[in-house]
Amino acid sequence: MTVGPVARDAATEEFFDGTAAGRLLLRRCAAAHFSEPPAEQCTTCGSTDLSWVPAAGGATLVSWTVVWGRPSGDSEPERTVLVIAELDEGPWWWAQLVGADPAGLAVGQRLCVEFRRAAEEHEAVPVFVVGEVTGGGSHG
Amino acid sequence: MIAGLGLTAVGKVYGPTPAQFAAEAVRRAVADAGLRLADIDGLLTSSGVTGGVSIDLQRDLGLTDLRMLSHLQSYGATAATMIQVASLAVTSGTASVVACVFADSPLRPDRGAGAAYGTRRAPAGWWGLLGASGLVGANPLYALAARRHMARFGTTTEQFGHIAVAQRAWAALNPVAQQRETITLADHQASRWIAEPLRLLDCCLVSNGGVAVIVTTAERAAGLRQPAVHVLGWAQSHPGHYLRRHPDFGLVTGAATAGPAALAMAGVALADVDVVELYDCYTFTVLVSLEDYGFCAKGEGGPFVASGVLGPGGKLQLNTGGGQLSGYYLWGMTPVAEAIVQVRGQGAERQADQHDIALVSGNGGVLDHHATLVLGSAAGAS
Repeated sequence: MTVGPVARDAATEEFFDGTAAGRLLLRRCAAAHFSEPPAEQCTTCGSTDLSWVPAAGGATLVSWTVVWGRPSGDSEPERTVLVIAELDEGPWWWAQLVGADPAGLAVGQRLCVEFRRAAEEHEAVPVFVVGEVTGGGSHG
Repeated sequence: MIAGLGLTAVGKVYGPTPAQFAAEAVRRAVADAGLRLADIDGLLTSSGVTGGVSIDLQRDLGLTDLRMLSHLQSYGATAATMIQVASLAVTSGTASVVACVFADSPLRPDRGAGAAYGTRRAPAGWWGLLGASGLVGANPLYALAARRHMARFGTTTEQFGHIAVAQRAWAALNPVAQQRETITLADHQASRWIAEPLRLLDCCLVSNGGVAVIVTTAERAAGLRQPAVHVLGWAQSHPGHYLRRHPDFGLVTGAATAGPAALAMAGVALADVDVVELYDCYTFTVLVSLEDYGFCAKGEGGPFVASGVLGPGGKLQLNTGGGQLSGYYLWGMTPVAEAIVQVRGQGAERQADQHDIALVSGNGGVLDHHATLVLGSAAGAS
């Protein structure tokens, strides 16, 4: 399992409509400042007049960690790579990095957004993969 | 000033609820000071990950006609913040004897320590999304902070290890410490990864227990049982970028502003500080705090901690009870309590030779909340 289950609530309805359609929605104010999706007001100017705008999907790596599961028996512990990525629009996003060898990671590396679900009945969750946006969007 | 300190049994102590630990800590603090419970006219409560401590503590302790009562929360910065608020209260005459208490009991005999802080949050909404992404508990978030420091400044896991080794050596001298068996740098490097670059021995303990501190005026404290511990200076800093874009994330903390402000209020220079008790949820937290307080230049925390200045007999008397890494983890009360012990000169085997001025830090969230205290054995010049 790459990502865990998550359900929408009143504050995240539009966001998860976006992820279901393969879009990472950001908040943008009338002055075109972008804010992180959970922002209640513009993180630059304080405006509460925010609209949902899809991120282009490109990002750069700010930091990363490899989380190790608890060792049990002879099996290798499960490892999960988590990152902070700076989206090309400016906001940061905290998410999993999938399909990458953590040994090769470096700050500034290019990433792009994809989506994964724990199961069909759960909401789609943004994740990152290494590489540039190739166009056409991607769906989990 | 601080007239009383009460510490319950700490560690794997099963049975008492957080409220019971809190009540016992206050009873012990009052007895330590040479006061009676009825002398308390102000009560500030705080709770940890399991909650359970509230202003109901007034009823549990049979305190009547209080002049101040409130519950405070700024996570790991709460303990130092409570002492700031209590100091303001006694100097303004709002109350004359204020008890500040923290207690928690996350450890249970039927589960590991990691489960206490590693539970997933609600599976819905923004918090649910973080959990679904794998961002559960503080470990990965502090790991992301530590990695950023490493990537920017070249800090290494071995340098983190020097902090773990030094604090365990202090803990070996502290009878109440949970982990007293000394470790080597090799032990640190062999300990399992929790969230790279943080290993098991980079992470604090999980503890049950409670600590209470009695704050009163110098006039009231005169003639009481314990040596004087004056609250000379304080400051807070809350940068305000939690899970938002933050250029300083992992690089600079609130200590960079709270530290100089607290020292200025106390009228002392960093060079005057004899004992340093820093919040150490992770080794990394100590390293970045040392930089921000100015014990070394920004980015040089790694070489600084590896230079032999730490541990008993070192130049820097830092986290002298073993801290949260090896002593016990009662949030911000761990460094506060040890600073009081040291300023009083009651550290026995681990007592610092010079102990007139102590610098104490509290850190909450993921380097999001910082509080500083400067404690001293003599009243300030001001």
